[in-house]
Amino acid sequence: MDIQRIAILMGKDARLGATNFMVLYVLVMPVVLSLLIALVFGDLLAQTPRLGIYDASASEQFTRPLLDHPSINTTMYDSEEALQSAVERGSEEIGLSLPAGFAASLEDDSAEIVFTAYRWGEAGVRNLLLLESAIARAMTAGIGSSIEQLPVTVNAEQIGSANTQTWSQRLLPLLLIMSIVLGGLFFPAASLLDEKRDRTLVALTSTPTSLLDVYLSKTLMGFILSGIMGSVILLINGAFVGQVALLLLVIALGGLMSSSFGIILGSVSKDMDTFMGIVKGAGILLYAPGILKIFPQVPEWIGRIFPTYYLMNPLLEVTQNGAGFADILIDIVVMVVLVAVLLVLLNSVIGRQQQKLALET
Amino acid sequence: MLSVENLSYTYPGGTEAVRGIDFAIEKGEIFGFLGPSGAGKSTTQKVLIRLLRGFQGNITVLGKPLNQWDDSYYEQVGVAFELPNHYQKLTASENLSLFRSLYNGDTLEPAQLLEMVGLSEDADTRLSQFSKGMQMRLNFVRSLIHKPELLFLDEPTTGLDPVNGQKIKDILRQQKQEGRTIFLTTHDMTVADQICDRVAFIVDGQITLIDSPRNLRLQHGRRRVTVEYHHDGTSAPTQQAEFPLDGLGDSDEFLKILRTNRIETIHTQEATLEDIFIQTTGRSLT
Repeated sequence: MDIQRIAILMGKDARLGATNFMVLYVLVMPVVLSLLIALVFGDLLAQTPRLGIYDASASEQFTRPLLDHPSINTTMYDSEEALQSAVERGSEEIGLSLPAGFAASLEDDSAEIVFTAYRWGEAGVRNLLLLESAIARAMTAGIGSSIEQLPVTVNAEQIGSANTQTWSQRLLPLLLIMSIVLGGLFFPAASLLDEKRDRTLVALTSTPTSLLDVYLSKTLMGFILSGIMGSVILLINGAFVGQVALLLLVIALGGLMSSSFGIILGSVSKDMDTFMGIVKGAGILLYAPGILKIFPQVPEWIGRIFPTYYLMNPLLEVTQNGAGFADILIDIVVMVVLVAVLLVLLNSVIGRQQQKLALET
Repeated sequence: MLSVENLSYTYPGGTEAVRGIDFAIEKGEIFGFLGPSGAGKSTTQKVLIRLLRGFQGNITVLGKPLNQWDDSYYEQVGVAFELPNHYQKLTASENLSLFRSLYNGDTLEPAQLLEMVGLSEDADTRLSQFSKGMQMRLNFVRSLIHKPELLFLDEPTTGLDPVNGQKIKDILRQQKQEGRTIFLTTHDMTVADQICDRVAFIVDGQITLIDSPRNLRLQHGRRRVTVEYHHDGTSAPTQQAEFPLDGLGDSDEFLKILRTNRIETIHTQEATLEDIFIQTTGRSLT
């Protein structure tokens, strides 16, 4: 294995891949679909977190920073009922009901701060995190204390079902699978099939470049593309939230899984037509967990049959439910095992390809 | 430079393509490996360029057993295949630059290589727009990019017009003068005759004969002279006479023909390599 040669081959592959229609199609399609979905279901144009406040104590010191906040759409309500109604409709994602005496309790370090927070059940994690952060900052503005030092009691109340998902949320799993899996799968496969068609694979291996170098360069390209695509789709869909490092770990494992699978498929396929036939025929196995997620009434266990579930599920858990490492450990272990199996297979495939090269030249 | 002892190779399906062949090539030699399709010459070359592993016998290349070489082998060895294998979306210059960057040692400039085979004006043309002949020339010249000590060339003049074919042969002679060793696989006996120092005939996986083309011609040709002439200088139909080459100057009849007739042609009856191949193997090259 030679890192410099692998880098040279990756540069070459990037250049040639940029003119490959199938690769471009696979990379562009999830982005276009994301933008379309965001446009149709409104998320793209309504990304600003929405906060409603009923202030019985005229606590300007607290409400002013929120009203002036450039990234939050804050609305004042005349009554608690009006605020609750707005949260129930989804007009506000969080509604704060500030009781009489709230302003005074903010100024008194020893007094307990009590208020009620209504949360819309369908509110996205990203917006909730932004709103909670802004509220905490507003509460400590001008005091000098951190939020942990304040005696705060929040009466939290959720309005609407937490299980209700927006269409954007329902379609996100499918988009994630398309971007991470197809991005990682198509590039190495198409690139290898092009090399086989033009007999350049044997030309490369008649230089100090080994077949392993060639395979690694393509797998790495698929891995990088997969990572970029997964991150872009999460960003476009406003889902790059929660533990970013954890998201990147899951995307990386997914990318490794799909690019290894892609290079194996490219190696065993005779040509592009055969490869496309396999993808068309068996593609449903890749998409299935994403399709099942569109229909929440379908039992979760069905999705677990498919390998891509273990990529999709942890991403959703982190972005939509704020899960941590321990919550998604099983999914990660399954992915690591799948990657290990694919790498063992890949090693065997490289050996066979070496034999085939000699016979087909 | 290269020695092969008792080389055998059997394909996974059980076909025994090469059966116990022996030969050695000296440094600076152009060695022609001649045989019809399926004779085992490509298999031998694939073994020698490490494409086929699992052979039987002993092969030593550049002073080291072949199976002890790693990928650094290709720093010393240049390979040109029978069919062009380039990146069709890249230009000629880009193709050479890419392959050049894969070597660690001293390399030649792509422009210099393209100039050698008359492709300078097409340096920035995509390979997809090249004719087969142009791709073959690029194929050949790519094998020289890292100044290898040993060249393995498979039918380097196939698909070339006579002018470009001659250009390739001239480059090969030049490479030989520079001390490079060339292993040439071909079924083109004319090319082999013109540029090879020695040739080996391979049939059914076995070498039947190894020698220089000149020696083969002398050994297998007929030592006779054929004269074509017009009787008494008239426009009568051409007549033909044949004489032994030995003692030709003492042949009164031969001298009389020369003196009294209009001579059309005089030829010694040397055998071509193809004739010798057919004569010694009982097989044709096609």
